[in-house]
Amino acid sequence: MLAAQIFAVVIFIAMFLLIVWDKIERHYITLGCGLLTLVVVFGICMRSGKAIWNTLAIKCFAAKDFWYQVSESESKGINWATIVFIAGMMIMVEGMAKAGFFRWLCMKIAYLVKCRTIPVFITFMIMSAVLSMFIDSITVIMFLAAVTVELSQLLKFNPIPMILSEIFCANLGGSATMCGDPPNIIVGTSMGFSFFDFLLNTGAVAGICLIVCVIFFYLVFRKELISENAQPIDMSKLPKPSEAITDKKGFIFSSIIFGIAVVLLVTHSITHLTVASIGTFIAIITLIANAKDALGLLKKVDYKTLLFFIGLFVVVCGLEETGILQYIADFISDISGGNIMLMVAIILWMSAIASAFVDNIPFAATMVPIIQSLAPIVIASGADPNTLAWALSIGTDVGGSATPIGASANVVGTSVAAKNGYPISWGRYCKKLAPATVIVLAISTAYLFVRYL
Amino acid sequence: MSQLIISVGREFGSGGRVIAEGLAKRFGIPIYDRHLITEVAEKIGVSPEEVEELNEAPNSRLISRKVRGYSNSIEDNIAEMQFDFIRKKAESGESFVVVGRCSETKLKDFSGLVSIFILGDMETKIKRVMEVYEVNEHDAQNLIEKKDKKRKRYHNYHVHMHWGDSRLYDISINSSRLGIDRTIDLLEKYIRARTEE
Repeated sequence: MLAAQIFAVVIFIAMFLLIVWDKIERHYITLGCGLLTLVVVFGICMRSGKAIWNTLAIKCFAAKDFWYQVSESESKGINWATIVFIAGMMIMVEGMAKAGFFRWLCMKIAYLVKCRTIPVFITFMIMSAVLSMFIDSITVIMFLAAVTVELSQLLKFNPIPMILSEIFCANLGGSATMCGDPPNIIVGTSMGFSFFDFLLNTGAVAGICLIVCVIFFYLVFRKELISENAQPIDMSKLPKPSEAITDKKGFIFSSIIFGIAVVLLVTHSITHLTVASIGTFIAIITLIANAKDALGLLKKVDYKTLLFFIGLFVVVCGLEETGILQYIADFISDISGGNIMLMVAIILWMSAIASAFVDNIPFAATMVPIIQSLAPIVIASGADPNTLAWALSIGTDVGGSATPIGASANVVGTSVAAKNGYPISWGRYCKKLAPATVIVLAISTAYLFVRYL
Repeated sequence: MSQLIISVGREFGSGGRVIAEGLAKRFGIPIYDRHLITEVAEKIGVSPEEVEELNEAPNSRLISRKVRGYSNSIEDNIAEMQFDFIRKKAESGESFVVVGRCSETKLKDFSGLVSIFILGDMETKIKRVMEVYEVNEHDAQNLIEKKDKKRKRYHNYHVHMHWGDSRLYDISINSSRLGIDRTIDLLEKYIRARTEE
């Protein structure tokens, strides 16, 4: 077993270093490391066909629980539910983007507030958070940042404060729901949570933090946003929201499909449909609605991300099956001395600090089995057994906001700004967003202590 | 060949930029080198000197990240802006000379592209750098090594094949053998032979 443990750790560390090195595409890294885990750790060292079979988890597709789940259950091995759901949502989002939905929505909201800078600033922050509750934050920021730059050129204001605030709120909004950010999908599907479980727990604190952040960003950015050369706005010269719609029929269909997705996600604890069946259903109706361009939509799916997930889950299984994650769980338990408050604080802040510098997806995937191992200690103390899961979700989702590389939305937002002539340095980014992250984490710590312990 | 795009990759101190300027003059076409810096500087509202610092520079790996082709690194974004600029120029049908910027790969789909790599002997390069930059031999060698290392990392980050690998270019030439003027003569003949095809 010792050899298996050593190889599992070496493969995991090599995977992390190669991801940071950024020379090889990350899906090749995780798939390569996943293959090594299967062959070297499970095959050669452990000689366990069962471990390989459990890790690949192919049989889950045939299980009723995978599609229709009456009771909560935890999954092991490759988290196919996460992969199927993300793939389905990717297809839906491609359909929406192709029809011009996102650009229309941004322009429509700007029009509703008569394109005045401060109201646009506030509504775009809220829109960023709300959209990110259902759609991946990369897509949200891609469109929101582009429209922000366009409006800034027309209305003569500096778009950087607005883009920074949108990025932050996208990450915060993502923490509110099970489908908002990949770590939440991993936590949710691994631990059998529903959309409402997240909304009532992480969503509640995200809502409080959103209010605080809107006020915080207004106070720190208001001087930069109000231009001395601001001219009265001539709405007739601005592009009309309807001009953003590229395909009217497609737009109506994609809006309806998005509505269906939201309803299915919100009600999935009542309907018992799992996120895997919702993702599959949404993908199928999007492809039927866009039958003529179905192949084009399928081609646009980010397969690299899906493959990245598959490889990653295998590598993490290597750590889990060899008992390494149990050691880490025991270590956390030891240093916290059984003090649940300290344990929650460690999970939250350690997740946040790690996510500020490394990809939060591998981190969350690694931490899920650890918090599952720690659950009995939490239960024994009489506290809510899911507290650690909420701490992990909030930490990984919000911590990523602190630096320009902490989350995908940050990279996309700063890149869109730079390509349009507004480069954002590390200093410029961290000066405002790192304090905002600390504020949200402090509020979240207090929230977790007061509500659950 | 109605459109002519001459891409010149070069080792520092090999006289590659002067050769590129000579070719631009002989064919009566514009050269994009310094212009690419001022263009980006104007767009992002900073001084050309600040862009110069980040020009043809690799990103700092530990503080950079790429997501679906988007990067937070200012170096990467400056590089992308320059790639876009030369690609648009090429798409417009314009003939031009471009120095560096991975142009031999970024513009490889344009039939009018002639890609050249200029290298040189270390001794000759040191001599040239000592003259042009008024530095001593030791500093000249350090400067050459530093600049080439930077160009190599920049190139190999944005392009899969290796900087200076002869398989990447139509012609690779050591300017120390014939000197700058005669290298220009030879390259002119080669390009004219290509344009007559």
